[in-house]
Amino acid sequence: MKNRIKVLRAEHDWSQAEVADKLGVARQTVVALEAGKYAPSLPLAFKIGKLFGKTVEEIFDADSD
Amino acid sequence: MADTNPTAVAKRRYIIALCGCMAAYAVILIPAIWLLSHDVVAGPLRYAVALAPAVPIVFVWLTILRYWATTDELERRVMLESLGVAGAITALLAATYGFLEGAGLPHLSAWWTWTVFMASWLVGRLIVQRFYE
Repeated sequence: MKNRIKVLRAEHDWSQAEVADKLGVARQTVVALEAGKYAPSLPLAFKIGKLFGKTVEEIFDADSD
Repeated sequence: MADTNPTAVAKRRYIIALCGCMAAYAVILIPAIWLLSHDVVAGPLRYAVALAPAVPIVFVWLTILRYWATTDELERRVMLESLGVAGAITALLAATYGFLEGAGLPHLSAWWTWTVFMASWLVGRLIVQRFYE
């Protein structure tokens, strides 16, 4: 699923490890999310939205697979 | 400073617990084999000694279950999908060899299914992981 996590992370000047720690997931999960290889669960998607101060729809492209 | 990421903490605990289980397995297995091979024990006690190495194996699976429950969602998915691959490979090989036994190949011990399952879990993990990289 396409998303803007990489862009938002760059805007906040956070590393993948920092985002992983803030979300409580492994760095590999952030890598998979950014690459669009993994669609997160609803709770994790909301957590990502809260972390970047955006809605889920603003971060994830529901039309992409 | 120690890593406080919950997934990293879960992995560290998992590896330590797994090493403990494997050490316990070795400590129990060696005397169990000696007792059985020297016919030191008989009757119901013989079965208890033979089953003793299974106890740490139960703890291995409890450790795996605890790791599954405490790690992050992608790792959980990778674990489950690779277990599915391992189950499918093992079932396929077991059924195939079962048919071949009917054609005259020698009867094998059930032990090989354990070995195949654990080996194919590792192979399955390497395959599944690639889909998320």
